[in-house]
Amino acid sequence: MKKYFNYLLLLFIAMGCKEKYISPVVSPATGYLVVEGIINSGAGETNITLSRTSKLSSQTVLFEQGAKVFVQGEDNTSVALKEATTGHFIVTGLNLNNTKKYRLSIVTKDGKTYQSDFSAVKNNPAIDSVSWRREGRDVQLYVNTHDPNNNTKYYQWEYAETWEIHSYYLSTLKYKVGTNSKGATTYSAVYNDSSNYGPDMTKFFCWKTEPSTSIMTGTTTNLASDVINLPLLNISADSWKLNILYSINLRQYSLSQGRYEFLQRMKKNTEGTGSVFDAQPSEYNSNIHCVSNPNEPVIGYVDVCNVQEKRIFINRKSLPDWNYNQSCSELEIPNVSDSIAIKALFLLPTYPNTDPMTGRIISFFAAPPECVDCKLKGSSTKPSFWP
Amino acid sequence: MNPFKYILVIGFLIFSSLKVEAQLDSTQKINLTLNNAPIEELIKNIESQTEYHFYFDTAQLSKKRFTIQATKMPILQVFNTLFTEQKIYFSVDKEDHVFLATTPLLNLILPDSYFTGNTKNTIASNNVNNSNFNEPDEPLNAQEALADNKLYEVGEKSLAGANIITMSGYIKDIRTGEPIAGASVYIDKPRIGVSTDQNGYYAISLPKGKHILNVQSLGIRDIKRQVVLYSDGKMNMEATGSIMSLKKVTISAQKISNVRGTIMGVQKLDIKTVKQVPVVFGEADILRVVTTLPGVKTVGEASTGLNVRGGSSDQNLILFNDATIYNPAHFFGMFSSFNPELINNVELYKSSIPASYGGRLSSVLDITSREGNKKEFTGSAGIGLLTSRVNIEGPLEKDKSSFILGGRSTYSNWLFNLLPAEYKNSKADFYDLNLIINNQIDKNNTLYFTGYLSNDHFNLNSDTAYGYGNKNISVKWKHIYSNKLNSLMTTGYDSYGYQINSQRLPLSAYQLSFGIEQTYFKAHFIYNLNSKHNFDFGLNSLYYNLAPGNYEPLGSKSLVVKDIVAKEQAMENALYATDHYTINAKLKLDAGIRLSAFSALGPNAINNYPSGSPRTEDNIISTVNYTSGSIIKTYGGPEFRLGLRYVIDETFSLKAGYNSQRQYIHSLSNTTAMAPTDIWKLSDPNIKPQTGDQVSFGIYKNLKSNTIETSLEVYYKNMDNYLDYKSGAKLVMNHHIETDVLGTQGKAYGVELLVKKTAGKLNGWISYTWSRVLLRMNDPTAGEIINKGQYYPSNYDKPNDLTLIANYKFSHRFSISFNSSYSTGRPITLPIGVFSYGGSLRTLYADRNAYRIPDYFRADFSMNIEGNHKINQLTHNSWSIGVYNLTGQRNPYSIYYVSEKGAVNGYKLSIFGAAIPYINLNIRFK
Repeated sequence: MKKYFNYLLLLFIAMGCKEKYISPVVSPATGYLVVEGIINSGAGETNITLSRTSKLSSQTVLFEQGAKVFVQGEDNTSVALKEATTGHFIVTGLNLNNTKKYRLSIVTKDGKTYQSDFSAVKNNPAIDSVSWRREGRDVQLYVNTHDPNNNTKYYQWEYAETWEIHSYYLSTLKYKVGTNSKGATTYSAVYNDSSNYGPDMTKFFCWKTEPSTSIMTGTTTNLASDVINLPLLNISADSWKLNILYSINLRQYSLSQGRYEFLQRMKKNTEGTGSVFDAQPSEYNSNIHCVSNPNEPVIGYVDVCNVQEKRIFINRKSLPDWNYNQSCSELEIPNVSDSIAIKALFLLPTYPNTDPMTGRIISFFAAPPECVDCKLKGSSTKPSFWP
Repeated sequence: MNPFKYILVIGFLIFSSLKVEAQLDSTQKINLTLNNAPIEELIKNIESQTEYHFYFDTAQLSKKRFTIQATKMPILQVFNTLFTEQKIYFSVDKEDHVFLATTPLLNLILPDSYFTGNTKNTIASNNVNNSNFNEPDEPLNAQEALADNKLYEVGEKSLAGANIITMSGYIKDIRTGEPIAGASVYIDKPRIGVSTDQNGYYAISLPKGKHILNVQSLGIRDIKRQVVLYSDGKMNMEATGSIMSLKKVTISAQKISNVRGTIMGVQKLDIKTVKQVPVVFGEADILRVVTTLPGVKTVGEASTGLNVRGGSSDQNLILFNDATIYNPAHFFGMFSSFNPELINNVELYKSSIPASYGGRLSSVLDITSREGNKKEFTGSAGIGLLTSRVNIEGPLEKDKSSFILGGRSTYSNWLFNLLPAEYKNSKADFYDLNLIINNQIDKNNTLYFTGYLSNDHFNLNSDTAYGYGNKNISVKWKHIYSNKLNSLMTTGYDSYGYQINSQRLPLSAYQLSFGIEQTYFKAHFIYNLNSKHNFDFGLNSLYYNLAPGNYEPLGSKSLVVKDIVAKEQAMENALYATDHYTINAKLKLDAGIRLSAFSALGPNAINNYPSGSPRTEDNIISTVNYTSGSIIKTYGGPEFRLGLRYVIDETFSLKAGYNSQRQYIHSLSNTTAMAPTDIWKLSDPNIKPQTGDQVSFGIYKNLKSNTIETSLEVYYKNMDNYLDYKSGAKLVMNHHIETDVLGTQGKAYGVELLVKKTAGKLNGWISYTWSRVLLRMNDPTAGEIINKGQYYPSNYDKPNDLTLIANYKFSHRFSISFNSSYSTGRPITLPIGVFSYGGSLRTLYADRNAYRIPDYFRADFSMNIEGNHKINQLTHNSWSIGVYNLTGQRNPYSIYYVSEKGAVNGYKLSIFGAAIPYINLNIRFK
């Protein structure tokens, strides 16, 4: 039903108009604690993030630094998490007892204690597959899971996409900036590596990783068996993501009904479409409370489950008609300081035209930076899982 | 016959009819002695004594000889004596022209006011309708009254009857034979008045003797009749519509029904008014125009849900010829589902709701269709940007029965082609069909049939298809027992349902459907006891059958488990009676009571919850199963409908009213607007009926010969058990909806001002409303308290609201209309902060409806151009050309915040971002 309203809204946008809106509301400083994460009962990583709500106008995340975070069992076990970076608390290999209940306990820097309700360890079946198929020209990814015991019911997924980027042009040149006798700046194109005149491959091979930014949940409560076959994400036709090699790593959590409800409300509140067909904003049913002041609002719902992961790759070779088109063109620039200063300072040099006799660079080709240096779009460090 | 003279006569007729009304002195007396005199001598004699001029064909009358001996004889008597014996037809107009002929020729030229556009034109005649020498078709007491200045006799002179005489009859359109509903029929001295029912029937009790009877209604020329009452009798009157008139609109002297009626807060619109108001895409739309009336609001442009005096959109009873229309919207709420070509008038009761209506808290919107043309086959067709329509109508049996068949359909798919590529595969279509038949069996029995069907389908480039539709059928029988008593018996069936299906994912392919059906019987009696007391009373019986949700697998691969929320059944009965009591000439009271009873019926399973603690799934103590037909729970009680009017003078009155209502069916919608996927729920032991009451007071003053009506109304209203929803409520396919809803209290109050100019070249209205609607949820046992239990504004609380509608008629063929409205922005809940979660910044909300979207302003303009008015051409065309949202104002429809790619962005959304021009062609054909 939601989908219909989204489309409906888009239809109206197409007829009408959508403008940026800056709220005239001067929002109060709230500073409520926000707890994000799930306790991983398995061998993997448990990742808890603490932050504070901030003013609407600020648009920044205020991470909560210096808190003590523990996973506590009802059997009085307690494991501390380590603050890896500000506000991010990590512990690996909890391997919890599936018959016990656990909670998260937080003591913030200002001395307040926050505790989640004790939650049972939820069973989480392995991800059967992450599949994809062409839908029109697009690529649509699906998640497939099933629980033979038919009792998982509520799921959440998060993913990270990674894809390889190649620059349009190889670059063997770089600019050399100098000063002439009159003290003016001079430019010239020189080889990156004068020993072999080879291209700078760190500008050619890059990888980009993006985490999911929307909340994805699924439920099988209305199905006869606990089988999930849900669309995960859509890669629009000819997207650069699939130009070479693409990978997605999917993490699956099983949820209690409470956490499912919590995420659904957050989704409705913050991923709505603003039409009058949207539901009213809802309050959050957090399961974390301030021990000394139960009325203090806290945002977060912490569950315990064994996190499942699955990674797949999609190679461009399996998409013969994929046609990512990066429009790049080169200009030939004389290797003269003034010419470079006028025409080529906002371009990057690619390869030279040399004097066959002297090997001097007479002129060179230059292209927009995004066609030459992939580091502008991603990282040149190859991820460990990349083949 | 001398053709020149003939043309001259016609020319004179037209010319004279354009002149200002002259006063005919029918009592003028003359002396005349003739003995076998030729026509020339007669004329010479009369013309010398009076202002009269004679027109005739000399060939016809040259052989006639006249003899008379008259001394101080009234002129009309002279004419009757002279001409009736000689079988000469005469006709006198108000310019003192007397037309003579030996055949009813003049009556053909001047048969009725259709041609001249004014019944007053022929002020006296001895033509067939007058039946002085032709045997009358009916006895004199059922005469078709045509001429204003004729004296009509009702009843038998010889009968020594009571002092109070009941006179009754029908008022019909002279051209089409359609009844004139809601017309005021009254006399001035003493003040006694009634109005016609929807069949054009009236019955009025008057003292014996001579009266001047007035008939007034929207869209017809005023009728004035001199009547002498001897005993109970009938008088039918034919009224002239002012549509397609060649003559300018006559300004009447007595538009006083708004001052005289006891009913408060009733707004009546005729279809002509509706059609003049410019609307988006040029499709005349009843509900859009209703929203311009004081006290009526809507949440936004893509919604036809009405909020009347602080009520929610499910608190309006929308009736189309007695059938309840559950979803009056097409095309996502952009159009209303009523075909403007078939509508006669629309009445909105927002304060004094007559006792015959019940079951909704805020208002009754009573939409009445036209009757088909009883005299000839005609039709019309309209072509607009998004829709087109065809209607045909005509007699089934001349003057007795007629039909109208009308249909509309859309071809809006071109619109999608203007949208970005991803919507190219979208489809949206709708249609509606109406069939209206009426059959006058005899003088006392009339049968009416209404069939209505509407359907919407859309698929917005997704795999999910939506459809919804209304189906209604009703049969009504009007029976007249006597002049004092008549009845209307109605029975019918209404149904509404929607369907959603999705097949993209074979494992979870589903179909979701909702349906409501109701069967009803209504008996309504009107009894005119005497000039002081008129009663109406009756009973309503309504059986509901509701399928709250069926969720079923679609296709063989689907793993969807069939899930059916148990059907609900209920019976709603009501008995009511109203006394319209004329206490004295100044004071009139309408006292009505309605006893309504609602029983939820088995089979069903009802959950019990402990009292005093929140209703949650975990809290269910027990579940009781009820067998088929058993009564689960009965609610009921009296509803009071009181109205009081005090007339200060002819143009000035005060009114007060008190009203209470009960509502047993609730729409479940967690959204601000009315959505096509809203479902309805019947009251049961866990969902109490909504109740409401309203006190109102009004001052009515007419100015400038009653052509300007002004009114001021003040009201205060309470609502109880109005349903609001818990955070994250699940409304669809919920087997225990009571755990997700909250009963709230509401209060609404306001002042409504209206200035309306009803006649003249410039007409229209200005309305201003100041009003508030506040809700409160402070029951700690409900599990959730909204805004700390304080009153908060409802979604449609828009305190200031100003509307101007103006039409200016340059000529009969060209008019312009202008429409403008301003209102305070509706309340919304704005975020007060942000936080990070799930890879994105997200918004933090606090108090509900604490902020408002910017104010709303819009102006529209349209021109209506009529083709020529030659009567005998096959088609008549008219064009309407206009611009919606003239100033291109980007009125915010909503403001919302979304988390996109990690950041929180606020957007202001306007549905119409620019001025929207439109053009519409209407064709009428014979």
